[in-house]
Amino acid sequence: MTSARALLAVFDWRSVAVFRRNALVFLRNWRTGFIPPALEPVFYFLAFGLGLATYVGGIQYDGGSIRYVTYIAPGMIAYTAFITAFYEALYAAYVRMFYQNTWDGLLATQIELPHVVWGEVLWSACRGAVYAAIVGVVIAGFDIGGFVDLHLGWLPLIVALAFLSGLAFAAAGLIFTALVPAIDHMNYPVFLIGVPLSLASNTYFPVPERLSVVRWLMNVNPVYHLAETARAMLVLGRPGPHLGLLLCTGAVWLVLCSLIAIRLTRRRVLGT
Amino acid sequence: MTGAALLEATDLTKRYDGRAVVDALSFECRAGTVLGLLGPNGAGKTTTLRMLYGFVEPDAGRIVYGGRDFATERLAIKRELGVCTQDDSLDYDFSVEQNLRVYASYFRPRVDALDSRIAYLLDAFALRRYADASPRALSGGFIRRLLIARSIVHRPRMLYLDEPTTGLDPRARVDLWELIDQMRADGMAIVLTTHYMDEAEKLSDELLVLDEGRAVARGAPGALMGRLIGEHVLVVGRHEAARDAIGAWARQTQGVEPSVVLGELHVPVTAAQLAEVSARFPEARLTVRPPNLDDLFIRLSLRHRAP
Repeated sequence: MTSARALLAVFDWRSVAVFRRNALVFLRNWRTGFIPPALEPVFYFLAFGLGLATYVGGIQYDGGSIRYVTYIAPGMIAYTAFITAFYEALYAAYVRMFYQNTWDGLLATQIELPHVVWGEVLWSACRGAVYAAIVGVVIAGFDIGGFVDLHLGWLPLIVALAFLSGLAFAAAGLIFTALVPAIDHMNYPVFLIGVPLSLASNTYFPVPERLSVVRWLMNVNPVYHLAETARAMLVLGRPGPHLGLLLCTGAVWLVLCSLIAIRLTRRRVLGT
Repeated sequence: MTGAALLEATDLTKRYDGRAVVDALSFECRAGTVLGLLGPNGAGKTTTLRMLYGFVEPDAGRIVYGGRDFATERLAIKRELGVCTQDDSLDYDFSVEQNLRVYASYFRPRVDALDSRIAYLLDAFALRRYADASPRALSGGFIRRLLIARSIVHRPRMLYLDEPTTGLDPRARVDLWELIDQMRADGMAIVLTTHYMDEAEKLSDELLVLDEGRAVARGAPGALMGRLIGEHVLVVGRHEAARDAIGAWARQTQGVEPSVVLGELHVPVTAAQLAEVSARFPEARLTVRPPNLDDLFIRLSLRHRAP
Protein backbone atom coordinates (compact mmCIF):
# COMPACT_ATOMS: atom_id res chain seq x y z
CA MET A 1 0.00 0.00 0.00
CA THR A 2 1.37 3.41 -0.95
CA SER A 3 1.78 6.20 1.61
CA ALA A 4 -1.03 8.18 -0.01
CA ARG A 5 -3.43 5.24 0.16
CA ALA A 6 -2.43 4.57 3.75
CA LEU A 7 -3.19 8.19 4.64
CA LEU A 8 -6.48 8.28 2.72
CA ALA A 9 -7.65 5.18 4.58
CA VAL A 10 -8.72 7.54 7.37
CA PHE A 11 -11.75 8.47 5.27
CA ASP A 12 -12.75 4.85 4.55
CA TRP A 13 -15.91 3.39 6.14
CA ARG A 14 -13.76 0.65 7.64
CA SER A 15 -11.80 3.14 9.77
CA VAL A 16 -15.11 4.55 10.95
CA ALA A 17 -16.30 1.02 11.78
CA VAL A 18 -13.28 0.51 14.06
CA PHE A 19 -13.87 3.92 15.63
CA ARG A 20 -17.54 3.05 16.16
CA ARG A 21 -16.68 -0.23 17.85
CA ASN A 22 -14.43 1.52 20.38
CA ALA A 23 -17.00 4.24 20.95
CA LEU A 24 -19.71 1.63 21.65
CA VAL A 25 -17.50 -0.03 24.26
CA PHE A 26 -16.83 3.36 25.86
CA LEU A 27 -20.53 4.21 25.99
CA ARG A 28 -21.31 0.90 27.67
CA ASN A 29 -18.96 1.92 30.47
CA TRP A 30 -19.73 5.63 30.36
CA ARG A 31 -19.79 6.16 34.12
CA THR A 32 -16.19 5.11 34.55
CA GLY A 33 -15.47 6.99 31.33
CA PHE A 34 -16.89 10.34 32.31
CA ILE A 35 -16.33 10.66 36.06
CA PRO A 36 -12.48 10.70 36.17
CA PRO A 37 -12.04 13.52 33.64
CA ALA A 38 -14.75 15.52 35.38
CA LEU A 39 -13.19 15.12 38.82
CA GLU A 40 -9.54 15.50 37.83
CA PRO A 41 -9.73 19.22 36.92
CA VAL A 42 -11.65 19.90 40.10
CA PHE A 43 -8.81 18.41 42.10
CA TYR A 44 -6.22 20.29 40.04
CA PHE A 45 -8.13 23.54 40.50
CA LEU A 46 -8.23 23.01 44.23
CA ALA A 47 -4.57 21.97 44.42
CA PHE A 48 -3.00 24.40 41.96
CA GLY A 49 -5.54 27.13 41.53
CA LEU A 50 -6.58 27.66 45.10
CA GLY A 51 -3.62 26.07 46.91
CA LEU A 52 -0.42 26.71 44.95
CA ALA A 53 -1.79 29.99 43.54
CA THR A 54 -1.60 31.64 46.98
CA TYR A 55 2.21 31.28 46.78
CA VAL A 56 2.63 31.97 43.07
CA GLY A 57 0.66 35.18 42.76
CA GLY A 58 0.28 36.64 39.26
CA ILE A 59 1.87 35.32 36.04
CA GLN A 60 3.12 37.55 33.25
CA TYR A 61 1.10 36.95 30.08
CA ASP A 62 0.72 39.06 26.92
CA GLY A 63 2.33 42.09 28.53
CA GLY A 64 0.20 41.94 31.64
CA SER A 65 -0.31 39.90 34.76
CA ILE A 66 -3.01 37.22 35.16
CA ARG A 67 -3.94 35.06 38.14
CA TYR A 68 -2.25 31.63 38.20
CA VAL A 69 -5.62 29.86 38.20
CA THR A 70 -6.55 31.74 35.02
CA TYR A 71 -3.21 30.73 33.49
CA ILE A 72 -3.58 27.01 34.12
CA ALA A 73 -7.25 26.64 33.09
CA PRO A 74 -6.51 26.57 29.30
CA GLY A 75 -3.36 24.53 29.92
CA MET A 76 -5.46 21.96 31.71
CA ILE A 77 -7.61 21.51 28.61
CA ALA A 78 -4.54 21.06 26.37
CA TYR A 79 -2.89 18.70 28.84
CA THR A 80 -6.05 16.59 29.07
CA ALA A 81 -6.42 16.35 25.29
CA PHE A 82 -2.80 15.26 24.94
CA ILE A 83 -2.58 12.81 27.81
CA THR A 84 -5.94 11.19 27.07
CA ALA A 85 -5.29 10.64 23.35
CA PHE A 86 -1.66 9.57 23.87
CA TYR A 87 -2.46 7.12 26.69
CA GLU A 88 -5.52 5.69 24.93
CA ALA A 89 -3.37 4.92 21.89
CA LEU A 90 -0.68 3.47 24.12
CA TYR A 91 -2.41 1.39 26.74
CA ALA A 92 -5.96 0.76 25.54
CA ALA A 93 -4.93 0.04 21.95
CA TYR A 94 -2.18 -2.27 23.19
CA VAL A 95 -4.70 -4.21 25.27
CA ARG A 96 -7.01 -4.51 22.26
CA MET A 97 -4.14 -5.59 20.04
CA PHE A 98 -2.27 -7.95 22.37
CA TYR A 99 -4.53 -9.22 25.13
CA GLN A 100 -8.05 -9.09 23.72
CA ASN A 101 -7.20 -10.15 20.13
CA THR A 102 -9.66 -7.49 19.00
CA TRP A 103 -7.47 -6.53 16.08
CA ASP A 104 -7.30 -10.17 14.93
CA GLY A 105 -11.09 -10.27 14.88
CA LEU A 106 -11.24 -7.05 12.88
CA LEU A 107 -8.62 -8.20 10.39
CA ALA A 108 -10.62 -11.36 9.71
CA THR A 109 -13.25 -9.14 8.05
CA GLN A 110 -13.06 -6.61 5.21
CA ILE A 111 -11.08 -4.31 7.51
CA GLU A 112 -7.35 -3.96 6.77
CA LEU A 113 -4.54 -2.88 9.03
CA PRO A 114 -4.44 0.84 8.03
CA HIS A 115 -8.14 1.05 8.93
CA VAL A 116 -7.46 -0.47 12.34
CA VAL A 117 -4.70 2.09 12.93
CA TRP A 118 -6.86 4.98 11.75
CA GLY A 119 -9.84 3.74 13.75
CA GLU A 120 -7.68 3.72 16.86
CA VAL A 121 -6.31 7.18 16.04
CA LEU A 122 -9.78 8.61 15.45
CA TRP A 123 -11.13 7.08 18.63
CA SER A 124 -8.17 8.18 20.79
CA ALA A 125 -8.46 11.74 19.46
CA CYS A 126 -12.20 11.71 20.03
CA ARG A 127 -11.78 10.51 23.59
CA GLY A 128 -9.19 13.23 24.16
CA ALA A 129 -11.61 15.84 22.80
CA VAL A 130 -14.48 14.51 24.93
CA TYR A 131 -12.35 14.68 28.06
CA ALA A 132 -11.14 18.16 27.07
CA ALA A 133 -14.79 19.19 26.69
CA ILE A 134 -15.59 17.84 30.15
CA VAL A 135 -12.68 19.81 31.58
CA GLY A 136 -14.01 22.82 29.69
CA VAL A 137 -17.43 22.41 31.30
CA VAL A 138 -15.86 22.18 34.76
CA ILE A 139 -13.78 25.29 34.04
CA ALA A 140 -16.95 27.05 32.89
CA GLY A 141 -18.42 26.21 36.30
CA PHE A 142 -15.44 27.85 37.98
CA ASP A 143 -15.87 30.83 35.67
CA ILE A 144 -19.51 31.19 36.70
CA GLY A 145 -18.38 30.87 40.34
CA GLY A 146 -16.01 33.78 39.84
CA PHE A 147 -12.77 31.85 40.33
CA VAL A 148 -11.57 32.60 36.79
CA ASP A 149 -12.44 35.12 34.13
CA LEU A 150 -12.46 33.53 30.68
CA HIS A 151 -14.00 33.99 27.20
CA LEU A 152 -16.02 30.79 27.26
CA GLY A 153 -17.47 31.28 23.77
CA TRP A 154 -14.20 29.90 22.37
CA LEU A 155 -14.58 26.57 24.14
CA PRO A 156 -16.26 24.71 21.22
CA LEU A 157 -13.46 25.72 18.86
CA ILE A 158 -10.87 24.68 21.43
CA VAL A 159 -12.51 21.25 21.72
CA ALA A 160 -12.40 20.93 17.91
CA LEU A 161 -8.70 21.82 17.97
CA ALA A 162 -8.19 19.32 20.77
CA PHE A 163 -9.62 16.65 18.46
CA LEU A 164 -7.42 17.65 15.53
CA SER A 165 -4.25 17.76 17.60
CA GLY A 166 -5.38 14.58 19.37
CA LEU A 167 -5.06 12.79 16.02
CA ALA A 168 -1.35 13.61 16.04
CA PHE A 169 -0.92 12.65 19.71
CA ALA A 170 -2.67 9.33 19.14
CA ALA A 171 -0.63 8.51 16.03
CA ALA A 172 2.53 9.14 18.07
CA GLY A 173 1.24 6.86 20.80
CA LEU A 174 0.53 4.05 18.34
CA ILE A 175 4.16 4.03 17.23
CA PHE A 176 5.11 2.86 20.70
CA THR A 177 2.17 0.49 20.88
CA ALA A 178 3.70 -1.26 17.89
CA LEU A 179 7.19 -1.17 19.35
CA VAL A 180 7.03 -2.12 23.01
CA PRO A 181 7.52 -5.83 23.63
CA ALA A 182 5.28 -5.93 26.73
CA ILE A 183 2.90 -3.58 28.48
CA ASP A 184 5.41 -3.00 31.32
CA HIS A 185 7.66 -1.30 28.78
CA MET A 186 5.06 1.42 28.28
CA ASN A 187 6.92 3.27 31.03
CA TYR A 188 9.51 4.27 28.45
CA PRO A 189 7.23 6.25 26.12
CA VAL A 190 5.32 7.61 29.09
CA PHE A 191 8.37 9.02 30.84
CA LEU A 192 10.59 9.69 27.84
CA ILE A 193 7.92 11.18 25.56
CA GLY A 194 4.68 11.87 27.40
CA VAL A 195 6.03 13.59 30.50
CA PRO A 196 8.62 15.81 28.71
CA LEU A 197 6.08 16.89 26.07
CA SER A 198 3.50 17.81 28.70
CA LEU A 199 6.03 19.64 30.90
CA ALA A 200 7.65 21.56 28.04
CA SER A 201 4.36 23.01 26.89
CA ASN A 202 3.40 25.96 29.09
CA THR A 203 0.41 24.03 30.38
CA TYR A 204 0.91 24.41 34.13
CA PHE A 205 3.80 26.88 34.18
CA PRO A 206 5.59 29.05 31.63
CA VAL A 207 8.95 27.56 30.62
CA PRO A 208 11.62 30.20 31.41
CA GLU A 209 13.16 32.09 28.48
CA ARG A 210 16.67 31.22 29.62
CA LEU A 211 16.08 27.52 28.81
CA SER A 212 16.72 28.31 25.15
CA VAL A 213 17.14 24.73 23.95
CA VAL A 214 13.89 23.68 25.60
CA ARG A 215 12.16 26.77 24.22
CA TRP A 216 13.38 25.91 20.73
CA LEU A 217 12.15 22.31 21.02
CA MET A 218 8.80 23.56 22.21
CA ASN A 219 8.23 25.05 18.76
CA VAL A 220 7.76 21.53 17.36
CA ASN A 221 5.57 20.42 20.25
CA PRO A 222 1.85 20.60 19.36
CA VAL A 223 0.92 20.38 23.05
CA TYR A 224 2.60 23.73 23.58
CA HIS A 225 0.83 25.33 20.63
CA LEU A 226 -2.50 23.86 21.73
CA ALA A 227 -2.02 25.22 25.26
CA GLU A 228 -1.05 28.68 23.98
CA THR A 229 -3.89 28.74 21.44
CA ALA A 230 -6.43 27.77 24.11
CA ARG A 231 -4.94 30.38 26.45
CA ALA A 232 -5.12 33.12 23.84
CA MET A 233 -8.74 32.26 23.07
CA LEU A 234 -9.93 31.91 26.64
CA VAL A 235 -7.88 34.67 28.29
CA LEU A 236 -7.55 37.22 25.50
CA GLY A 237 -10.61 36.31 23.45
CA ARG A 238 -8.66 35.87 20.17
CA PRO A 239 -6.87 32.97 18.45
CA GLY A 240 -3.32 34.30 18.72
CA PRO A 241 -0.26 33.40 16.63
CA HIS A 242 0.02 29.81 17.88
CA LEU A 243 -3.07 28.63 15.99
CA GLY A 244 -1.22 28.42 12.67
CA LEU A 245 1.77 26.77 14.34
CA LEU A 246 -0.56 24.26 16.00
CA LEU A 247 -2.11 23.33 12.66
CA CYS A 248 1.29 23.04 10.95
CA THR A 249 3.07 21.03 13.65
CA GLY A 250 -0.03 18.91 14.20
CA ALA A 251 -0.31 18.11 10.48
CA VAL A 252 3.38 17.19 10.20
CA TRP A 253 3.18 15.02 13.33
CA LEU A 254 0.03 13.34 12.08
CA VAL A 255 1.36 12.47 8.63
CA LEU A 256 4.75 11.25 9.87
CA CYS A 257 3.53 9.41 12.95
CA SER A 258 0.57 7.73 11.25
CA LEU A 259 2.73 6.43 8.38
CA ILE A 260 5.33 5.14 10.84
CA ALA A 261 2.60 3.63 13.04
CA ILE A 262 1.01 1.83 10.08
CA ARG A 263 4.37 0.46 8.97
CA LEU A 264 5.35 -0.70 12.46
CA THR A 265 1.99 -2.21 13.34
CA ARG A 266 1.98 -4.03 10.01
CA ARG A 267 5.34 -5.54 10.92
CA ARG A 268 4.21 -6.46 14.41
CA VAL A 269 0.73 -7.76 13.67
CA LEU A 270 1.10 -9.22 10.19
CA GLY A 271 4.81 -10.00 10.31
CA THR A 272 5.46 -8.15 7.04
CA MET B 1 -17.98 -33.10 -5.02
CA THR B 2 -20.42 -30.45 -6.08
CA GLY B 3 -20.03 -27.73 -8.68
CA ALA B 4 -16.99 -25.80 -9.82
CA ALA B 5 -14.16 -24.87 -7.47
CA LEU B 6 -14.96 -21.84 -5.34
CA LEU B 7 -11.37 -21.55 -4.16
CA GLU B 8 -8.35 -22.26 -6.30
CA ALA B 9 -4.91 -21.81 -4.78
CA THR B 10 -1.95 -22.24 -7.08
CA ASP B 11 1.72 -22.50 -6.05
CA LEU B 12 1.18 -20.63 -2.79
CA THR B 13 4.49 -19.82 -1.17
CA LYS B 14 5.39 -17.97 2.00
CA ARG B 15 8.89 -17.52 3.40
CA TYR B 16 10.02 -16.23 6.76
CA ASP B 17 13.68 -15.42 7.24
CA GLY B 18 14.48 -17.19 3.98
CA ARG B 19 12.78 -20.44 5.05
CA ALA B 20 9.73 -21.61 3.10
CA VAL B 21 6.91 -22.06 5.61
CA VAL B 22 4.51 -22.82 2.76
CA ASP B 23 6.13 -24.15 -0.38
CA ALA B 24 4.37 -24.09 -3.77
CA LEU B 25 1.08 -25.40 -2.41
CA SER B 26 -1.82 -25.93 -4.83
CA PHE B 27 -5.36 -27.08 -4.04
CA GLU B 28 -9.00 -26.21 -4.50
CA CYS B 29 -12.25 -26.29 -2.56
CA ARG B 30 -15.80 -26.57 -3.95
CA ALA B 31 -19.10 -25.31 -2.65
CA GLY B 32 -20.76 -27.73 -0.25
CA THR B 33 -17.52 -29.52 0.62
CA VAL B 34 -15.02 -29.52 3.45
CA LEU B 35 -11.30 -29.50 2.72
CA GLY B 36 -9.30 -30.65 5.74
CA LEU B 37 -5.76 -29.35 6.19
CA LEU B 38 -3.80 -31.74 8.35
CA GLY B 39 -0.29 -31.60 9.62
CA PRO B 40 1.93 -31.44 12.68
CA ASN B 41 2.79 -28.17 14.42
CA GLY B 42 4.77 -25.97 12.06
CA ALA B 43 3.48 -27.76 8.95
CA GLY B 44 2.17 -24.48 7.53
CA LYS B 45 -1.58 -24.96 8.10
CA THR B 46 -2.28 -21.64 9.81
CA THR B 47 0.01 -19.68 7.48
CA THR B 48 -1.82 -21.22 4.51
CA LEU B 49 -5.15 -20.22 5.97
CA ARG B 50 -3.91 -16.71 6.72
CA MET B 51 -2.85 -16.24 3.12
CA LEU B 52 -6.23 -17.48 1.92
CA TYR B 53 -8.19 -14.94 3.94
CA GLY B 54 -5.78 -12.09 3.41
CA PHE B 55 -4.11 -11.79 6.80
CA VAL B 56 -0.72 -12.56 5.26
CA GLU B 57 0.48 -11.77 1.74
CA PRO B 58 1.90 -14.74 -0.20
CA ASP B 59 5.42 -14.32 -1.55
CA ALA B 60 4.37 -16.22 -4.66
CA GLY B 61 1.36 -17.99 -6.08
CA ARG B 62 -2.22 -17.08 -6.89
CA ILE B 63 -5.51 -17.27 -5.01
CA VAL B 64 -8.72 -17.24 -7.05
CA TYR B 65 -12.26 -17.19 -5.68
CA GLY B 66 -15.00 -18.05 -8.16
CA GLY B 67 -12.78 -16.98 -11.05
CA ARG B 68 -11.80 -13.66 -9.42
CA ASP B 69 -8.22 -12.95 -8.41
CA PHE B 70 -7.90 -12.24 -4.68
CA ALA B 71 -4.97 -9.90 -5.33
CA THR B 72 -7.05 -7.52 -7.44
CA GLU B 73 -10.60 -7.94 -6.06
CA ARG B 74 -9.73 -8.25 -2.42
CA LEU B 75 -12.46 -6.09 -0.88
CA ALA B 76 -15.33 -7.71 -2.78
CA ILE B 77 -13.98 -11.20 -2.18
CA LYS B 78 -13.46 -10.63 1.55
CA ARG B 79 -17.17 -9.87 1.79
CA GLU B 80 -17.75 -13.52 0.89
CA LEU B 81 -15.25 -15.03 3.33
CA GLY B 82 -15.95 -16.09 6.89
CA VAL B 83 -13.01 -16.57 9.22
CA CYS B 84 -12.91 -18.26 12.61
CA THR B 85 -9.40 -17.99 13.99
CA GLN B 86 -7.80 -20.21 16.62
CA ASP B 87 -7.66 -17.45 19.21
CA ASP B 88 -10.70 -16.10 20.99
CA SER B 89 -11.23 -12.62 19.54
CA LEU B 90 -14.71 -12.03 20.96
CA ASP B 91 -15.61 -8.64 22.35
CA TYR B 92 -16.16 -9.26 26.04
CA ASP B 93 -17.47 -5.71 26.47
CA PHE B 94 -20.50 -6.69 24.39
CA SER B 95 -23.26 -9.23 24.94
CA VAL B 96 -23.51 -12.36 22.81
CA GLU B 97 -26.13 -10.72 20.58
CA GLN B 98 -24.11 -7.50 20.29
CA ASN B 99 -21.04 -9.50 19.28
CA LEU B 100 -22.98 -10.69 16.24
CA ARG B 101 -24.45 -7.25 15.52
CA VAL B 102 -21.19 -5.30 15.81
CA TYR B 103 -19.29 -7.87 13.76
CA ALA B 104 -21.86 -7.52 10.99
CA SER B 105 -21.02 -3.81 10.83
CA TYR B 106 -17.54 -4.70 9.53
CA PHE B 107 -18.97 -5.72 6.15
CA ARG B 108 -20.27 -3.85 3.10
CA PRO B 109 -22.68 -4.24 1.44
CA ARG B 110 -24.50 -4.38 4.76
CA VAL B 111 -26.02 -7.64 5.91
CA ASP B 112 -29.60 -7.96 4.64
CA ALA B 113 -32.30 -8.46 7.29
CA LEU B 114 -29.72 -8.41 10.07
CA ASP B 115 -32.24 -8.87 12.87
CA SER B 116 -33.61 -12.07 11.41
CA ARG B 117 -30.11 -13.28 10.57
CA ILE B 118 -29.03 -12.80 14.19
CA ALA B 119 -32.20 -14.49 15.43
CA TYR B 120 -31.49 -17.45 13.13
CA LEU B 121 -27.89 -17.78 14.33
CA LEU B 122 -28.86 -17.53 18.01
CA ASP B 123 -31.28 -20.42 17.48
CA ALA B 124 -29.12 -22.50 15.14
CA PHE B 125 -26.12 -22.32 17.47
CA ALA B 126 -28.25 -22.74 20.64
CA LEU B 127 -27.14 -19.34 21.92
CA ARG B 128 -30.60 -17.85 22.39
CA ARG B 129 -30.66 -18.13 26.20
CA TYR B 130 -27.30 -16.33 26.41
CA ALA B 131 -28.23 -13.56 23.96
CA ASP B 132 -28.07 -10.76 26.54
CA ALA B 133 -25.26 -12.27 28.59
CA SER B 134 -21.57 -11.49 28.34
CA PRO B 135 -19.49 -14.14 26.55
CA ARG B 136 -17.85 -14.58 29.97
CA ALA B 137 -20.94 -16.56 30.94
CA LEU B 138 -20.26 -19.12 28.19
CA SER B 139 -18.42 -22.43 28.44
CA GLY B 140 -15.57 -23.20 26.07
CA GLY B 141 -17.88 -25.03 23.69
CA PHE B 142 -20.36 -22.17 23.53
CA ILE B 143 -17.60 -19.59 23.09
CA ARG B 144 -16.52 -21.59 20.04
CA ARG B 145 -20.13 -21.69 18.83
CA LEU B 146 -20.33 -17.92 19.15
CA LEU B 147 -17.04 -17.47 17.30
CA ILE B 148 -18.29 -19.59 14.42
CA ALA B 149 -21.74 -17.95 14.40
CA ARG B 150 -20.04 -14.54 14.33
CA SER B 151 -17.83 -15.59 11.43
CA ILE B 152 -20.86 -16.38 9.26
CA VAL B 153 -23.15 -13.51 10.33
CA HIS B 154 -22.65 -11.88 6.91
CA ARG B 155 -23.64 -15.06 5.01
CA PRO B 156 -20.23 -15.89 3.48
CA ARG B 157 -19.88 -18.48 0.73
CA MET B 158 -16.53 -19.70 2.02
CA LEU B 159 -15.60 -20.41 5.64
CA TYR B 160 -12.19 -20.88 7.22
CA LEU B 161 -12.06 -22.74 10.51
CA ASP B 162 -8.67 -22.83 12.22
CA GLU B 163 -8.65 -25.71 14.72
CA PRO B 164 -12.28 -25.13 15.69
CA THR B 165 -12.54 -27.82 18.37
CA THR B 166 -9.16 -27.56 20.10
CA GLY B 167 -9.59 -27.71 23.85
CA LEU B 168 -13.25 -28.76 23.78
CA ASP B 169 -14.70 -31.77 25.56
CA PRO B 170 -15.96 -34.71 23.42
CA ARG B 171 -19.63 -33.68 23.64
CA ALA B 172 -18.89 -30.10 22.57
CA ARG B 173 -16.73 -31.40 19.72
CA VAL B 174 -19.50 -33.60 18.38
CA ASP B 175 -21.99 -30.72 18.66
CA LEU B 176 -19.69 -28.52 16.62
CA TRP B 177 -19.23 -31.25 14.04
CA GLU B 178 -22.99 -31.28 13.58
CA LEU B 179 -22.99 -27.54 12.99
CA ILE B 180 -20.12 -27.73 10.52
CA ASP B 181 -21.85 -30.58 8.70
CA GLN B 182 -25.02 -28.50 8.48
CA MET B 183 -23.12 -25.54 7.02
CA ARG B 184 -21.66 -27.85 4.40
CA ALA B 185 -25.14 -29.17 3.63
CA ASP B 186 -26.25 -25.54 3.21
CA GLY B 187 -23.73 -25.23 0.37
CA MET B 188 -20.86 -23.48 2.11
CA ALA B 189 -17.29 -24.27 1.09
CA ILE B 190 -15.24 -24.92 4.23
CA VAL B 191 -11.51 -25.17 4.78
CA LEU B 192 -10.66 -26.67 8.12
CA THR B 193 -7.39 -27.15 9.96
CA THR B 194 -7.18 -29.66 12.77
CA HIS B 195 -4.83 -31.85 14.74
CA TYR B 196 -7.58 -34.37 15.38
CA MET B 197 -7.49 -37.26 12.94
CA ASP B 198 -11.01 -38.42 13.74
CA GLU B 199 -12.31 -34.90 13.15
CA ALA B 200 -10.57 -34.62 9.80
CA GLU B 201 -11.75 -38.08 8.80
CA LYS B 202 -15.39 -37.49 9.74
CA LEU B 203 -15.77 -33.95 8.44
CA SER B 204 -13.58 -33.72 5.37
CA ASP B 205 -14.61 -34.56 1.83
CA GLU B 206 -10.98 -34.16 0.88
CA LEU B 207 -7.79 -34.11 2.90
CA LEU B 208 -4.59 -32.24 2.25
CA VAL B 209 -1.76 -33.44 4.46
CA LEU B 210 1.00 -30.89 4.97
CA ASP B 211 4.47 -31.28 6.32
CA GLU B 212 7.12 -28.57 6.34
CA GLY B 213 4.96 -26.44 4.09
CA ARG B 214 4.52 -29.04 1.37
CA ALA B 215 1.58 -31.26 0.43
CA VAL B 216 2.64 -34.82 1.23
CA ALA B 217 -0.72 -36.47 0.48
CA ARG B 218 -4.19 -35.53 -0.73
CA GLY B 219 -7.49 -37.18 -1.51
CA ALA B 220 -10.68 -38.46 0.10
CA PRO B 221 -10.00 -39.83 3.60
CA GLY B 222 -10.94 -43.44 2.81
CA ALA B 223 -9.07 -43.52 -0.48
CA LEU B 224 -6.00 -41.94 1.10
CA MET B 225 -5.86 -44.56 3.81
CA GLY B 226 -6.48 -47.42 1.46
CA ARG B 227 -3.80 -46.21 -0.92
CA LEU B 228 -1.18 -45.31 1.63
CA ILE B 229 -1.84 -47.62 4.55
CA GLY B 230 -3.56 -50.77 3.34
CA GLU B 231 -6.57 -52.83 4.31
CA HIS B 232 -5.70 -53.62 7.94
CA VAL B 233 -3.36 -52.67 10.71
CA LEU B 234 -1.78 -55.42 12.75
CA VAL B 235 -1.08 -54.48 16.38
CA VAL B 236 1.62 -56.43 18.23
CA GLY B 237 1.70 -55.90 22.01
CA ARG B 238 4.86 -54.62 23.69
CA HIS B 239 5.21 -57.85 25.73
CA GLU B 240 4.57 -60.22 22.84
CA ALA B 241 7.47 -62.66 22.50
CA ALA B 242 7.41 -62.56 18.69
CA ARG B 243 7.27 -58.75 18.61
CA ASP B 244 10.79 -58.18 17.28
CA ALA B 245 10.55 -61.10 14.86
CA ILE B 246 7.31 -59.73 13.42
CA GLY B 247 8.92 -56.31 13.12
CA ALA B 248 11.86 -57.80 11.26
CA TRP B 249 9.49 -59.76 9.01
CA ALA B 250 7.59 -56.60 8.15
CA ARG B 251 10.79 -54.71 7.28
CA GLN B 252 12.68 -57.41 5.45
CA THR B 253 10.07 -59.35 3.57
CA GLN B 254 7.25 -56.82 3.23
CA GLY B 255 9.25 -53.59 3.00
CA VAL B 256 7.06 -51.94 5.63
CA GLU B 257 8.42 -49.87 8.52
CA PRO B 258 6.14 -50.52 11.52
CA SER B 259 5.23 -47.53 13.67
CA VAL B 260 5.82 -47.86 17.40
CA VAL B 261 3.28 -46.50 19.88
CA LEU B 262 4.12 -47.04 23.58
CA GLY B 263 6.08 -50.14 22.66
CA GLU B 264 3.33 -51.61 20.47
CA LEU B 265 4.11 -52.31 16.84
CA HIS B 266 1.51 -51.10 14.32
CA VAL B 267 2.04 -52.82 10.96
CA PRO B 268 -0.13 -52.01 7.93
CA VAL B 269 -0.94 -55.23 6.08
CA THR B 270 -3.06 -56.61 3.26
CA ALA B 271 -5.33 -59.63 3.76
CA ALA B 272 -2.68 -61.89 2.19
CA GLN B 273 0.03 -60.52 4.46
CA LEU B 274 -2.25 -61.03 7.44
CA ALA B 275 -2.68 -64.70 6.50
CA GLU B 276 1.07 -65.03 6.12
CA VAL B 277 1.93 -63.56 9.49
CA SER B 278 -0.67 -65.78 11.16
CA ALA B 279 0.91 -68.84 9.57
CA ARG B 280 4.48 -67.79 10.46
CA PHE B 281 3.75 -66.82 14.04
CA PRO B 282 0.93 -69.15 15.14
CA GLU B 283 1.64 -68.65 18.85
CA ALA B 284 1.57 -64.86 18.73
CA ARG B 285 -1.42 -62.95 20.19
CA LEU B 286 -2.21 -60.35 17.56
CA THR B 287 -4.87 -57.69 17.20
CA VAL B 288 -6.20 -56.45 13.87
CA ARG B 289 -7.98 -53.13 13.42
CA PRO B 290 -8.99 -50.92 10.51
CA PRO B 291 -6.51 -48.19 9.52
CA ASN B 292 -7.12 -44.61 10.61
CA LEU B 293 -5.63 -41.22 9.94
CA ASP B 294 -3.19 -41.56 12.82
CA ASP B 295 -1.57 -44.39 10.90
CA LEU B 296 -1.49 -42.32 7.78
CA PHE B 297 -0.05 -39.36 9.59
CA ILE B 298 2.70 -41.32 11.32
CA ARG B 299 3.50 -43.16 8.13
CA LEU B 300 3.78 -40.00 6.11
CA SER B 301 5.90 -38.33 8.74
CA LEU B 302 8.27 -41.30 8.86
CA ARG B 303 8.54 -41.46 5.09
CA HIS B 304 8.95 -37.74 4.65
CA ARG B 305 11.67 -37.48 7.28
CA ALA B 306 13.58 -40.53 6.21
CA PRO B 307 17.19 -39.69 5.27
